[in-house]
Amino acid sequence: MAPDAKLSHTAAMILQAINAGFIYGFSIMEMTGLPSGTVYPAMRRLERDALIVSRWERQSIADAEQRPPRKYYRLTAAGRTTLEASRRRYPLLDRLIPSGETREEARQA
Amino acid sequence: MTPRLGWAFHAFHLAVLRAASNLVPTRRRREWMREWQSELWHVRRERAPAPATSWRAEREITAFCLGAFRDALYLRQEHERPETTHGSAWGSPAHCIFGLSGVICAAFAFALLAPGVRAVNNAPRFTIASGLILIHRERSDGDLTDTVTMQDFRRWSAHSQRSFDDFAFYSIVRERVWPGSPAETEWSVAHASANLFPLLGVPLRFASPPDPRAAPAPLAILSCEAFEREFGGHPLSAASTLRIGQVDARIAGVAPCGAWALPGNVDAWLLEPGSALADGAAGYVVAHLSPRGQAEMDGPRVAIADGGRDSDDSFIGDRIQCQARGPWDIYLFTVLLALLALPAVTSVTMGETSFSSHKPSFSRQLYRWAFLAAKMALLLPIAWCVPVDLAYSAAASSSVGAQYAQLVSTFSICLLGMRWILLDQRQRCPVCLRRVCNPARVGDASRTFLGWNGTEMICLGGHTLLHVPGLPTSWFATQRWLYLDRSWEFLFAGSSEG
Repeated sequence: MAPDAKLSHTAAMILQAINAGFIYGFSIMEMTGLPSGTVYPAMRRLERDALIVSRWERQSIADAEQRPPRKYYRLTAAGRTTLEASRRRYPLLDRLIPSGETREEARQA
Repeated sequence: MTPRLGWAFHAFHLAVLRAASNLVPTRRRREWMREWQSELWHVRRERAPAPATSWRAEREITAFCLGAFRDALYLRQEHERPETTHGSAWGSPAHCIFGLSGVICAAFAFALLAPGVRAVNNAPRFTIASGLILIHRERSDGDLTDTVTMQDFRRWSAHSQRSFDDFAFYSIVRERVWPGSPAETEWSVAHASANLFPLLGVPLRFASPPDPRAAPAPLAILSCEAFEREFGGHPLSAASTLRIGQVDARIAGVAPCGAWALPGNVDAWLLEPGSALADGAAGYVVAHLSPRGQAEMDGPRVAIADGGRDSDDSFIGDRIQCQARGPWDIYLFTVLLALLALPAVTSVTMGETSFSSHKPSFSRQLYRWAFLAAKMALLLPIAWCVPVDLAYSAAASSSVGAQYAQLVSTFSICLLGMRWILLDQRQRCPVCLRRVCNPARVGDASRTFLGWNGTEMICLGGHTLLHVPGLPTSWFATQRWLYLDRSWEFLFAGSSEG
């Protein structure tokens, strides 16, 4: 997908959530308020378009915490560029889901 | 809520996930299930920690699990998408060639199974020798009957002739025959002089040389029909023996289908030396004209004077021509006929122009013409195999009905096939040779003064638009290609290059 591709609002929210540090499906649901039937397919699409990539948590970490390993998502370079374009398109995106830097700036203010 | 009920809900949620996983393509199912199970574990820990489980929490977890169905459904659709984009390969040149090759393979496979078709395909190609005439007694009604006696034949053969250099004789009688089985049957058997087939120039199928250790026996030649009917066309049976009347004859070969162009329907020819033939037999004489005789005979019929005979009877010689056309001759004739008829059913030119000065490269044009030639080349075997399958699967090649069926079906397949090939070629993008699709009506027939009306189709590879006028005008008579530049690329994101 082209870096300046136009994303839907939902996809832009999910990108923003992942960028903000909500890196697995359930946390993204919690953050965005979207149902699982919307979040997971949207993440599949974003992964297909190479805007995000996934990786499995190491088994040893999960074993140490006595839980199953999770699948984590992160933005690719194309995903970050697309997110920048989406922020210009959806100015409220940053307010809905503040990114790490925004949260830091707000705390300092 | 009791812990036991909590476990029951957990089992239910796992069952929901497992049911949804059935929608996921097999390749991705294991990882998908692993992710959802992991997520379910975390959702349960967040929403319903073990001692504090509640109906509300279970309802939320159930809603979470039901979302798995949408996710699984999406992956299923995503999995099937390559076939949809493959749909654009539906009109690709490879698809077309593959389809035509498939028809040839199917027809060829059928030809291998059907004995009638197999006999036609295995029949040797031949033409009856030239300079042959059939001698018979002149009758007032003009009918051909077996009226030449054995004595006449012996007398002609014994003396050197001015106009003829060889004679052969045959006489047809009904004989009881035991074709290898105890049950007898009745055949039309031609008792013939041994040189009949060499004189006609007809090659024999499954011809077997005589065994030098075995006692010399009369030779029998089977007709194609009798060989298929009584022996199932099995090549090994061609060397076996056959009892014809009181004679045990060795089967020396099988006459090719449709080879017999002389009077009389014959099931077998019993080849005997001239001296062994019955004196009183009446039959036909086949004579080969000497070079002098050929020079003197300028028409299809000639009167023959018999100098050694006192009676008033005179003989007539009719030139022997291969009346029945073999399947191969019918095929060649019909293909030629269809080629001549093609301009009557469609325009044989590509008849197209371009809106712009852009032209495909020379190699692309060459590729396009090669594709057209390949389609035509594939049509030819189809026009042979399919009609032969249709016509001869249940009938012998000498059957007039089967020959008409072959002629009609070959003509239809050739004509319609070539028409389809030309129409198909006109609707293929000159750049990638993929068929244009998504036809859209453009314009209005009542408003052709400033615009045009017709159909617009697009190449899925994003190379061209094809405009076909609905109402040909003096300024827009034939279809036109519009070559798309790079500004159109955004419409075809994801399409493969042609």
